[in-house]
Amino acid sequence: MEKSTSNEYVRGTLKTIVLNLLSDCDRMYGYEITQQVTERTAGEINLTFGALYPVLHKLEQEGLLVTESEAVDGRMRKYYSLTTQGTETARTKTSDLERFMEAMKLLLSPPGEATPSLVPKGN
Amino acid sequence: MKRLTDFRLAELNRYLETSGLSDALMPELLDHLACEAEERLWAGKPLEEVIESLRKEVDPDVLLDLSLNHKHLLAMNESLNDIVFENRNKLYGAYALRRDYGGNVQRATIIGVGIFLLMFLLPELYARLKTTDEKDIAFMVEAKTIKITPEKITPIAPPVVEPTPPTAKTVRSRPYEVMPDEQVPIEMPPPTVEMLENAQTGQANVDGESFMEFVVPPAEAAGTGKGDVIEVKPEEEKTLLFAEQQPQFFGGSQAFANFLQKNLKYPRAAAQAGIQGKVFVEFTVSTDGKIEKAKTIKGIGFGCDEEAIRVVNMMPDWLPGKQSGVPVRVRFTLPIAFQLE
Repeated sequence: MEKSTSNEYVRGTLKTIVLNLLSDCDRMYGYEITQQVTERTAGEINLTFGALYPVLHKLEQEGLLVTESEAVDGRMRKYYSLTTQGTETARTKTSDLERFMEAMKLLLSPPGEATPSLVPKGN
Repeated sequence: MKRLTDFRLAELNRYLETSGLSDALMPELLDHLACEAEERLWAGKPLEEVIESLRKEVDPDVLLDLSLNHKHLLAMNESLNDIVFENRNKLYGAYALRRDYGGNVQRATIIGVGIFLLMFLLPELYARLKTTDEKDIAFMVEAKTIKITPEKITPIAPPVVEPTPPTAKTVRSRPYEVMPDEQVPIEMPPPTVEMLENAQTGQANVDGESFMEFVVPPAEAAGTGKGDVIEVKPEEEKTLLFAEQQPQFFGGSQAFANFLQKNLKYPRAAAQAGIQGKVFVEFTVSTDGKIEKAKTIKGIGFGCDEEAIRVVNMMPDWLPGKQSGVPVRVRFTLPIAFQLE
């Protein structure tokens, strides 16, 4: 139950997560990305391969990612890295998500506490 | 670090192949699952358990879900052509034609419009690019200022008024019209002989000069085309001087002499003056034998001429003269002798 709700939120931000991760590292392959996410969030968010690979392919189609294949241990491994356009998109998407999370914080916190944080922003 | 054997990899690959994954996903997923398995093996789990857990996690439903998800995400960018040609041979050519159609039309339009505009602008461009060569100019005309002196206005001579020709004296005479009695206008009597003596006939009475210079109308132009038409006029229209069969007094010359003797009276004046001689009376015997246009050519006067005309007009009808069997008018001259006894 808990896992499915987390997945629900992950689905909307998956692109941003992947782009953000790739902007930190030079290149990554699919499994590595899932491992990284699990590691960084201390197991809070687990990417399933069923959600990850379609998104990766979509980003590749959009021209944000480039791939290179390498034979590792007798099987093909596909590495993903950002294009210049992808780097830009990663930046904007990350900042967008941050703003969204700020707004969510304001929305979810009780009204009394929300007002002071809003006032300095307004000024 | 533990690794999967090639046999296990092949087994995994077969498993994925049976699930009907797309080719794009297959190698990646194989790698992913292999990594997953190795990770778990490394964690110290027995191989059988790892395989079992993987099988549970990667059941056909999950794979199908992945396939559909993948397809849907990518299909957002697909055009109608991609859908139409999804399971067809794209290399055949129709796909390329369809895909590039929009671009081709756009290019064709731009080129077409360009050529069209060029066609109109070409003379203009040519004129601009080509500087006129000095040699091309055959000659140059220097414009000089011309002094224009005002022209002297010559007075225009007043038009010579031509004297209008004197109006000829005319008497109104109209062609007759046949109409019912009650419609006949009374005030339009035909001109009398006296009126016409010194005047011409015309449309109205004009009291002009009474000169007798008749203007002969110009002869009508000869018949147009078709050469000369020979008109055969009836013989009776002509008045002959001599006919094949001369007109004759009814009863012959003897009867004629008797007639004259009986009717001719010697005028008194002539008798008193002792005048005698011959009066030549000319008359025409018409086709029906009637005596017409009797007049004296040569007379002796003293009432003898009038007497001769009277007698001639009194004559009964003659036998008309004939020309080739057809009665003709014949002019006849008859001497009538007045002789005192």
